[in-house]
Amino acid sequence: MEGIRYPKENTLYKKKEYTQIGQSKPRIDGVSKATGAGKYCGDLKFPNMLYGKMLTSPHAHAKILSIDTSAAEKIPGVIKVITHKDVPSLKYGISPARWDENVLCIDKVRFVGDKVAAVACVDEETCYKALKAIKVEYEVLPAVLNYRTAMNEDMPQIHDEYPRNINTEIHQLFGDVDKALEEAYHVRTDVFEGQRTYQCPIEPHSAISIWKDNKLTVYSSTQSVHYFQYYIAREFGLKMGDVRVIRPLVGGGFGGKLEPTGLEFNGAVLSKLTGRPVKMFYDRAEMFAHNRGRHQGHYEITTGVTKEGKILAAKANFVLDGGAYTSLGIATAYYAGGLLPLTYDFENYQFDLMRMYTNLPACGAQRGHGAPQPKYAFESHLDNVARDLGIDPIEIRKRNARQPNTNTCNGMGIQSCHLTEALEKIETITDWKAKKEKGLPKGRGIGMATGSFVTGAGYPIYRNDYPSSSCMVRVNEDGTSATLYANAIDIGQGSDTVLCQMTAEAMGYRYENMKIVTGDTETAPLDFGAYSSRQTAYCGWACKRAGEEIKAKILETAGFMMHLPPEDLECEEGIIFSKSRPKVEPITFEEAAKKYFIIKGPLVGTGVYTVPRLGGYHKGAPVATSPSYSFCTQAAEVQVDEETGEVDVIHAWDVHDAGQIINPALMKGQVHGAFGMGISETIMEEVVFNKDGKIINPDVGGYRIITALDMPDFTNDLIPSNDEPATPWGLKEIGEGSNNPTMGAVRNAIYDAIGVNVASLPLSYEKVWRAIKEKKEKEQAAK
Amino acid sequence: MYLPDFDYYVPASVAEACQLLAENIDCAKVISGGTDLLPKMKHGLLSPQILVSIKKIPGLRKIEYVQGKGVVIGAASTINDIVFSEVVQQKYPSVSNAAHTMAANQVRHSGTVGGNLVSAVPSADMPPILMALNATATIEGPNGQRQLPVEDVFCGPSKCLLEKSEIITEIIIPDQAMTGSTYFKFALRRAGALAVVGVAAAVQVENETIKDARVALGAVAPVPMRAKKTEEFLIGKKISDELLEEAGKIAAAECKPITDFRASEEYRRDLVRIYTKRALCKAIDQGHV
Repeated sequence: MEGIRYPKENTLYKKKEYTQIGQSKPRIDGVSKATGAGKYCGDLKFPNMLYGKMLTSPHAHAKILSIDTSAAEKIPGVIKVITHKDVPSLKYGISPARWDENVLCIDKVRFVGDKVAAVACVDEETCYKALKAIKVEYEVLPAVLNYRTAMNEDMPQIHDEYPRNINTEIHQLFGDVDKALEEAYHVRTDVFEGQRTYQCPIEPHSAISIWKDNKLTVYSSTQSVHYFQYYIAREFGLKMGDVRVIRPLVGGGFGGKLEPTGLEFNGAVLSKLTGRPVKMFYDRAEMFAHNRGRHQGHYEITTGVTKEGKILAAKANFVLDGGAYTSLGIATAYYAGGLLPLTYDFENYQFDLMRMYTNLPACGAQRGHGAPQPKYAFESHLDNVARDLGIDPIEIRKRNARQPNTNTCNGMGIQSCHLTEALEKIETITDWKAKKEKGLPKGRGIGMATGSFVTGAGYPIYRNDYPSSSCMVRVNEDGTSATLYANAIDIGQGSDTVLCQMTAEAMGYRYENMKIVTGDTETAPLDFGAYSSRQTAYCGWACKRAGEEIKAKILETAGFMMHLPPEDLECEEGIIFSKSRPKVEPITFEEAAKKYFIIKGPLVGTGVYTVPRLGGYHKGAPVATSPSYSFCTQAAEVQVDEETGEVDVIHAWDVHDAGQIINPALMKGQVHGAFGMGISETIMEEVVFNKDGKIINPDVGGYRIITALDMPDFTNDLIPSNDEPATPWGLKEIGEGSNNPTMGAVRNAIYDAIGVNVASLPLSYEKVWRAIKEKKEKEQAAK
Repeated sequence: MYLPDFDYYVPASVAEACQLLAENIDCAKVISGGTDLLPKMKHGLLSPQILVSIKKIPGLRKIEYVQGKGVVIGAASTINDIVFSEVVQQKYPSVSNAAHTMAANQVRHSGTVGGNLVSAVPSADMPPILMALNATATIEGPNGQRQLPVEDVFCGPSKCLLEKSEIITEIIIPDQAMTGSTYFKFALRRAGALAVVGVAAAVQVENETIKDARVALGAVAPVPMRAKKTEEFLIGKKISDELLEEAGKIAAAECKPITDFRASEEYRRDLVRIYTKRALCKAIDQGHV
């Protein structure tokens, strides 16, 4: 056994150190992705495969009077053309409370890009010819394009079932807000505006459907094979066991690939009708039209504080632009206010929200789900309050900071929390006090904000009794490898890697010998997939338990082999040794595993994790609950060109309270990525529509995302801890929290630099220029 | 997003290329780097049946200094050829720097200077600096060769004054009396972004006085434009902060920007004011063209 390290000393009383987690192990999929050998859904081909495309609406709001497919059907190479008559009429959506979308529109289209017909052809080029030949007669209706006026009496109604275009209405009240505001030393209200952004993952959505012999197999670029399996089976009245969903490599999701799209539903129908595999996909413009990106919103925040800046009560009054369908938006709506009481401790809270239907593409879940824009409003507001009171921004946050083992006023329980330390650390590493005391050069400013996020949503998207995560580990017959079977979905965040690390740690094995089978409903057991930063924690519990089962089994076998009680044995990095008798010759995991197989058969461990019941009992209480929350602080230093309004983010700092780190390199990748996405949304991203509701920048040239050159210098710091009892090894989320404070931190830095309030996102150069100009005009008028 | 069918010709000479274009006058397009043409074809905005590639024509991709003529840049030279050209870097660093502000590295590797002119995008980065340095384009067609000042190449957004059978073969930047020049680009991102405003300035300074000045503006009119009122105002005047501030105001007044989703007319105008002032200041100070 070359390269195996035998422990020479008695390790019984040595402090246990992790051998597989806490290490920057190389990604398990790294080589295949870096060399281009890895296959994404769009790379796959099957014999006899057809190509499919959808015809979408050119109008924001119109009645469908007739659809004539006859000319398209005559084109050579066109195998099938379908309309709503060929597909189930059962409405779908990801949130059962609001199933409002049809596979193909029946009587009405509700946004530019709504699904009207679909074709399957021998090649892609023929699809475009076929789409052009389909004649649709529309009666154009007046469209609702402004979410702020969508509820007015005279506005057209988008869905018959939803009067005044109100999709979701939330009214939550905790404590006595009015009384607290009356007693407050200072009450302030601010209004902020958010913009619509889009996830824009590098890999476009793609699905291949194969309906054969009453069984439907769907390859899809998805964040959750389980939800796809459930929703596809439901739509077609199939047994879940007859629907197999497979996830090839996924090139990014960020929330936009959590729900099935027209690609899966129409592809399935086309495959059933033609008897051939059908590949469907979006191009970049179609991705933008399908959208499901971040809601834009109008955010009014009121707080009442004591003279010392302690928050007594907070009121959040929000309006969101939901677009034409619900998508995941009902969760977004509850998240928008649900997460606000996390970072600061106050007892009285009122949260009101309206999510409006408009004739624009539907909005859904985007990294930080519902939280970043409200947090921008709250953090900007809090800086305003601090200024009113003459308190330093970090100081006011320290005075209100969430403490460990407390409950929020809206029923969320927090155990581990190191927000105060994160505030202290950000103060130190930014040299905050010196900068505040001595002042910064002209046009330079520093600002900060706090953030927090769920380590996994406490409840699944549709009501069910299933556990949140499960997995299975099978050790190869000769013990030289172990395969983890899990439906955790690696969308680029690295879950395959960290789950193998955690499994190996629990087994006493080596990461390098781990294999993984994921993203296939037929081979791996249930997991709800990648969303709400749940994968490492939830599937991690399952992996830990499965690994520990393997370890227990193998130590029992080793006990027979070594003539020692299993309790005296330990297994680390594949070496089984006696804890009390250092001179006993160790044996290897491989030897014991092989022996186990010979005696007992397959060496298998399984693990399961179910989130305990969490949260309060009010309406909407399940959203924003989590077994554990991360906390972070972020600061940004900006240089503003006071003539042009150009904002240069010179440096940014992030201090994350993320518990035990499983893979430091991947942690850094996640924090950098989340912050990069955050800063991009903060300063440049915006989906822009023309007056007819058509997106005018549905491409990566017009829809600006930061480039590597625009990424500020960035310090990624941590408050190390492992005291979170609710997660395996005390880990916490890392994938979404870091874009939570960014917008607020940059806005506060701009204010610090030039004393102007930019109250809407993105904080574009032109808005900063205009704010400076207005300030100067005001000053001149005052003179 | 599907490239339509087309025939692809690779002529070996300019004459052969012009002949091909003349024979297929309404259905042929010249392709060089393809960074502008191919996306337009993919979006269905253009569907030429014939593409005439000028990439293999000898001599079209060269950059050299010709005594008495100036720096001659073959039209099929890529933007990065200009960025990295020793000749350009020595004679006109401001041209090399302007080229470097364009698009992103991948596009600069493929896109060509000839294409940057004939695509006639109002925000193109090469025209302003070439106009400020009084560059000319050599145009060849079935009826022979002609010279056109770069500023006269454009006649509207995506429209230029070339006949359909003509191609630009080279750009000539003549020897300069100017003592300094520069190109300032204001964009909303550090790479892969169109100019919201582009200002090129070239000045001839003697004894703290502006003897000659040329100012060219990009992205603030249907075509890249000379700021002639600004130039007239500057010529013969003693350099001062107030002078440059005033010049900026004149440029802001004479440009004709529009509002689009990148910037409003009002913002563009003010940026012209600020960037004209800054570009002039740098051109005066830096002591090279």
